[in-house]
Amino acid sequence: MATNTTTVNGPANGAGNVGAVPRPSARRSGGGAWQRYVSALKRPRGAVGAGLLALLILAAVLAPVLFPDGYDDQSSGALAGPSAGHWLGTDELGRDILARTVFGLRTDISLLLTAVPLSAAIGTLMGLAGVIARWLGTGMQRLLDIILGFPGLILGMTIVLVVGTGWLALFLSILVVGLPMFGRQARAGLLAEQEREYVLAARVLGVRKRTVMVRHVLPNIIDPIVVNASVFMVVAIFIEAGLSIVGLGIEPPVPSLGAMLNTGARYVEVHPAYIIGPGLVLLLLALGFTLLSDALNKAVLRR
Amino acid sequence: MNILPKTAAHTAATSAENDMRTGHETSPLLQVHGLRTEFVTETGIVRAVNDVDLTLHTGKVLGVVGESGSGKSVTARSIMRMVHSPGRIVAGEILFNGRDLRGLTTDEMRHIRGSEIAMVFQDPQSALNPVMSVGDQIAEALIVHGSDKRTARRRALELLEQVGIPDAERRVDEYPHQFSGGMRQRVVIAIALASSPKLLIADEPTTALDVTIQAQILRLLARLKDDVGVAVLMITHDMGVVAETCDDVAVMYGGRVVEHGPAEVIFARQEHPYTADLLKAMPRIDENGDGRRSQGLPAIPGAPPDPAALPPGCAFHPRCRLAEDQCRSDVPELSPRENGLRAAACWITERGDTIPPLEPADHTGRTTASGGRVTGIAVHPDEDTRGAGSDTSDSTGALQDLLVVDDLRVNVAADRRSLFGRPDPVYAVDGVSLSVAGGETLGLVGESGCGKSTLARTVVGINRPSSGSIRVGAGLVDASSPGGIQALQSTVQYVFQDPYASLNPRRTVRQSLDEALEMRGVPRSERAGESIELIRRVGLNEGHLDRYPHAFSGGQRQRIGIARALAVEPRVLICDEPVSALDVSIQAQIINLLETLRDDLGLGYLFIAHDLSVVRHLSDRVAVMYLGQIVETGPVEAVYSSPQHPYTVALMSSSPVPDTAVRDRERIVLTGDLPSPKDPPSGCRFRTRCPIGPLVHPERQICVEKEPALNTTPAGQRAACHFAGEMVLAPAS
Repeated sequence: MATNTTTVNGPANGAGNVGAVPRPSARRSGGGAWQRYVSALKRPRGAVGAGLLALLILAAVLAPVLFPDGYDDQSSGALAGPSAGHWLGTDELGRDILARTVFGLRTDISLLLTAVPLSAAIGTLMGLAGVIARWLGTGMQRLLDIILGFPGLILGMTIVLVVGTGWLALFLSILVVGLPMFGRQARAGLLAEQEREYVLAARVLGVRKRTVMVRHVLPNIIDPIVVNASVFMVVAIFIEAGLSIVGLGIEPPVPSLGAMLNTGARYVEVHPAYIIGPGLVLLLLALGFTLLSDALNKAVLRR
Repeated sequence: MNILPKTAAHTAATSAENDMRTGHETSPLLQVHGLRTEFVTETGIVRAVNDVDLTLHTGKVLGVVGESGSGKSVTARSIMRMVHSPGRIVAGEILFNGRDLRGLTTDEMRHIRGSEIAMVFQDPQSALNPVMSVGDQIAEALIVHGSDKRTARRRALELLEQVGIPDAERRVDEYPHQFSGGMRQRVVIAIALASSPKLLIADEPTTALDVTIQAQILRLLARLKDDVGVAVLMITHDMGVVAETCDDVAVMYGGRVVEHGPAEVIFARQEHPYTADLLKAMPRIDENGDGRRSQGLPAIPGAPPDPAALPPGCAFHPRCRLAEDQCRSDVPELSPRENGLRAAACWITERGDTIPPLEPADHTGRTTASGGRVTGIAVHPDEDTRGAGSDTSDSTGALQDLLVVDDLRVNVAADRRSLFGRPDPVYAVDGVSLSVAGGETLGLVGESGCGKSTLARTVVGINRPSSGSIRVGAGLVDASSPGGIQALQSTVQYVFQDPYASLNPRRTVRQSLDEALEMRGVPRSERAGESIELIRRVGLNEGHLDRYPHAFSGGQRQRIGIARALAVEPRVLICDEPVSALDVSIQAQIINLLETLRDDLGLGYLFIAHDLSVVRHLSDRVAVMYLGQIVETGPVEAVYSSPQHPYTVALMSSSPVPDTAVRDRERIVLTGDLPSPKDPPSGCRFRTRCPIGPLVHPERQICVEKEPALNTTPAGQRAACHFAGEMVLAPAS
């Protein structure tokens, strides 16, 4: 144990040795995954984004508590302006717009938080399929190319045709539209990682393919996929809104932000508060994800 | 130069003389005074260049030499005023032809750049625009500075000829991808010369090139200096390149110039311990006798400092064997020595003390853990007293082959087929046989593209052989037989070139080692103890185990890479350029470590490198590869003292030697580039570049018609040449 007395100045010393231009050697990418994700929340954008999202999610979760009457109570007059009873007024059927906005938010968040992660997961697996067999990998890519070949709207319409309108159709639409992006990204990551010397080193050691994948490839390609997933959240919001606008959205009377915008737009001249409420919430939701993905991008992907 | 009187005390008078001396000659083209460049980072201000003074006269070459982080490149960019935010030049003056460049407006500076000062970058690949023909790129430089299209094109052609591009008329309209690396660098130089600049700043212009190409480019730069009268500021890390090309040298360390003076003077005797020790730490191609098994390289301990965390006082003091209290607290100024002929920034030599010659490191090389002045990590106390020469495998005499490669061919395009499924083979390795025994090192040298890495990767199973056999282990089991793969994985391991890429950034050192131990079948409970032993064996300690790779310097990472390879207790290590990505002062540490491990553990090495000096130092036998085949192989001494194949001769004479005394030696500079392995020349593959082949002796048709066999030559080694031994290496005198 005599070696313990040796002074080692290495770590603090070495990190900045690469390249001629000095770089901040303090925190570089590498090391514990969670720390890096947590550090994204410490950035101003990350904190604001995460705070905003936390607030919105909280509201969505607490919707039945906040509005015990539900989104379907038609006890008031139609298209009433803002009042003490109805802060944003009522819609064409006399339902409280604020309550419907919050319940609509609930619909959107339930879609986003399930469809997007699932899309990222399935897409990633499809992208990595080449590990099992070369033909499988190529086949998956062609499948993704086919999906990419159809406009999102056509895809959505096809899905509606099969499963009917409603939450499930929106969920599947978001999921399928996301697949090519995640699948291709994972594939590109895989191809790059396969040639990395640490992957080769593991192969030379005789480590099994599947283990190499889980230990060496996946952890090194997952970060950009997570960042992309957070970006895709915003895209997914607009998929929901878009499908709702063409009438392929959620089945009434269940509200969704997109569907409310769609109807609200018809009354924008007589009742501007109708569209402002859900519009603003949608904006905040998109803003929250944008800020968060921005911070993640900076904190996690800095190599 | 060493007969110059050495004055003990330096006073103001010497600096006055100094002024007179410079005043004597024409006024300098470039004069940098007290240059200071800083970068503002999250963690504070990083002083990348600190109080740098440089002087460069027309028609001269000034070499700025230093390791990574020494500030040499930032200095070059500061002179060009190309330091971008968050960097900024905060002090000093940059006098170019008497005008201070710092005082110029952006527009004025833009005019100077390109027309009066031009720059050549390290990587010709990224310095050229891939979607513009080279002619247009050269012309662009001229048009920007006010020439019309027709003249610009004519001048572009002229320049291409001037930088030695054959068939310039045709090639002027080609695109960068149609040029080889060396040719691209010539194009880059042509662009730089387009508007006849007075100063050429070359930032590591040959680092990305092979030795034979490097020799061509260095020769070109030297010729241009004389023909065009341009002054060259050469930024490099390679003392060999400096010795070959520079008139004056400025050695940088930690953002400061620590020593400068005429090249001959500095290479003859050093006034700064860093320069002195760095030169000693480099293996020499002309190293005589048995460098191997006798002494390790006298390595400088530790690593170059992080510019963001420079030590107080002299930046070199933590690694300096002469450091005193004053060195630790006060920064030494650059003070003139020998009547202002040279200058150095060192407290020790300033008061007249000389630098004592460096003791050769004991071969075990254990002086060099990772920093600090670590002496003797007693891993195996019983082995410490062992003489370096008394290696077990040596004493028993007969070496046991542990890796035998026989007539190996590798088609690197095996899984690539042309559109209609026609196979389109490219044999990167074409009939190579070699063997490695325990305790010995086979050095494999060759230029990039010769197939040496493909060979190595095929041996460990990353690439698949097309034909031939690989046998491993004590029983020489065929690697392709059932069970052969296990024999291979437990016998042969690989040390990679790039220490920044060979460790998974997401896994701690312990996790990396555990994975390897797991493959050896070490039970979980014993892995911790084994890891500690491994990490100590490579000169680190258990405190390093739970850190991530980003916390380590290049040299330390390479040690971890070696520890991981050792974890499966292999008998043979394949070292693929293990030191070429490291700083010069770190290379010696890793070479010493590899030597120690080989001798302690009786490992056999297949040591791949393009650096002939390193190979000479470490190897028992050497094999020279050219275009997928071995052209010469034999004992190191035989091959290095009397190379028989003209390619070997050319390689050796092109290899830069860090000594100005041999700069005028005769060099064989090969013409052209390595042909593509896709379509190798008929007969002898070297004939398209051979200085004694049909290029100069048209009657030698045998070289075109008949492939030479690897025959034993009178000198003792084997060489594949019809006229082996005809070409002789000029003795370095």
